[in-house]
Amino acid sequence: MVYPRARMLDRRPGEELHEVVVIGAGIAGLACAGALAAAGRQSLVVDKGRGVGGRCATRRIRDQPVDHGVAFYHGEHPEFLAALAAVPATALPGWPQRIVGQGPPCQPEAFTRGHSRLAFVEGATAFPKALARGLALRLATRIVAIEVGDASLCLRLEAGPSLQTRELVLTPPAAQTLALLPRCAELASARALLDLVPAQPCLTLMLGYAGDGPRPEFDVCYPEDSPLQMIVHDSAKRSAAGQVVLVAQATRAWSRAQLEREASSWQATLLAEVARVVGPWAHEPVWLESHRWRYAHAGSPALASPMLVSLPGGARIGLAGEAFCAGAGVQGAYLAGLALARRMLAGQACGEETR
Amino acid sequence: MTPDASPLEALVERDQTHDCAGFGPARTCVRVVAVADLPSRFGDFKIVAFWNNRDAKEHIAMVRGEVCGASDVPVRLHSECLTGDAMGSLRCDCRDQLEAALTTFGTMERGILLYLRQEGRGIGLINKIRAYALQDRGLDTVEANLALGFRDDERDYGVAAHMLRSLDLRSIQLMTNNPNKLRGLEQHGVVVSGRIPHQLPATRHNRFYLETKAARSGHYLDFTGEPEGTKD
Repeated sequence: MVYPRARMLDRRPGEELHEVVVIGAGIAGLACAGALAAAGRQSLVVDKGRGVGGRCATRRIRDQPVDHGVAFYHGEHPEFLAALAAVPATALPGWPQRIVGQGPPCQPEAFTRGHSRLAFVEGATAFPKALARGLALRLATRIVAIEVGDASLCLRLEAGPSLQTRELVLTPPAAQTLALLPRCAELASARALLDLVPAQPCLTLMLGYAGDGPRPEFDVCYPEDSPLQMIVHDSAKRSAAGQVVLVAQATRAWSRAQLEREASSWQATLLAEVARVVGPWAHEPVWLESHRWRYAHAGSPALASPMLVSLPGGARIGLAGEAFCAGAGVQGAYLAGLALARRMLAGQACGEETR
Repeated sequence: MTPDASPLEALVERDQTHDCAGFGPARTCVRVVAVADLPSRFGDFKIVAFWNNRDAKEHIAMVRGEVCGASDVPVRLHSECLTGDAMGSLRCDCRDQLEAALTTFGTMERGILLYLRQEGRGIGLINKIRAYALQDRGLDTVEANLALGFRDDERDYGVAAHMLRSLDLRSIQLMTNNPNKLRGLEQHGVVVSGRIPHQLPATRHNRFYLETKAARSGHYLDFTGEPEGTKD
């Protein structure tokens, strides 16, 4: 879409003006902003977190990377695989290799024919960091409200001057996007669709052990009949691991039931479960950390494509994220972000014709 | 192969080693793999089953008369619609369209209905029912339908074009109101020598569907008549 220069927006004092603002520096937001930038459209990517990547997350614990969100990448789409191949980090192609347990993988298609799998020695964040290179980012910035103006949208921040933009891309999980989405008629069907794909939680435990002690014989374990969806031998991804690190992720149903309980109660249950599956030695970690992923998995089955809604004044709101691509997962988030950028560049937004 | 094999049956043997670069963006290649008589309430047909190299969908052709090598063969493309074709849904006119085409072909010397299994790829059927639920709440919009995976304008006619090529037709008369279908097939090298209009009266349930189909996709439809069964 080309904006006539004459129709500049009135910038109110204390407001910043942007052509495009992308909310969410996860894979969908970064892919979208990157594709826009490649076509010469600058955007500002805003995220409430301190780092990029969203659920593609890595913590440094005792000087060792620990992936406590996405454990490994998998996909079959050429563009997604090309983006992974371009990451300037040490890839472990085919990781995980040693897979045990009869429980269901989080995304069973990860192990189907045609899907490639890989991890990064430096941590899962290597991928979002690579996507974020060259993009304008504003991290640790929380948007509290979106107001619809004449030809623009005003984003109110928790702190600091508001952001004004003609085009807004929303990529957070459904519940967070719903909380921000303006309540106007043009967005009624978007709200209804977001209601169909509520994200599911995942309680996660990170466990550190002495580097010279016992370690599991697997890369990933999918226990059967367990509150655990998977146990990841995270330190098996690191080239010079000084310590053995396991990451345990609870099933959606179990996580949902325990989500609002004291962390100490679910930590103890999950730790006991890890020890039951891996061996008694696992009951005594040197350190233990946990993370409560409130929105870990997009609701399934996902929708098929991103949305791009034109508002009466001419502003546009795009919706992307894992829930907006058939297939979901990180690949789904990436492809949804790309697809939205392409639609924005092609200027093919449909006016919402409500019945 | 028996000596008195019909031209259609001969296609099965011909296609056992058929392998081409494929049609359309998906580079779809199809083979004729089975042919049998199919007497039906619409008349005597032969049913032709196709294999394709892209998905596990089994497309079929309902063939009336001797069509191999023929010109100006009447052809109808029908996209599978489980709710309409099988369940008799009134939310669309798919079953009426299907029956009207088969009834017409049953009275003709020649005719082909391609039954394209384009529904239910991935989660297509789930999203269709989600779309109906939105419609029930008055939230049926172009954007919502796009997000649910319905995009009329981007349909790939490669499969249909290859099926017609495999049936060895010289030229076809396409039974359609949709100009995109004409263009789509011609782009893949199908010779369309004419168009047979295919129009059914609207009912109170599907009038909206037909109107939006006409508005969104440029179908040749005329809505001057009152829909059946409505007085309002």
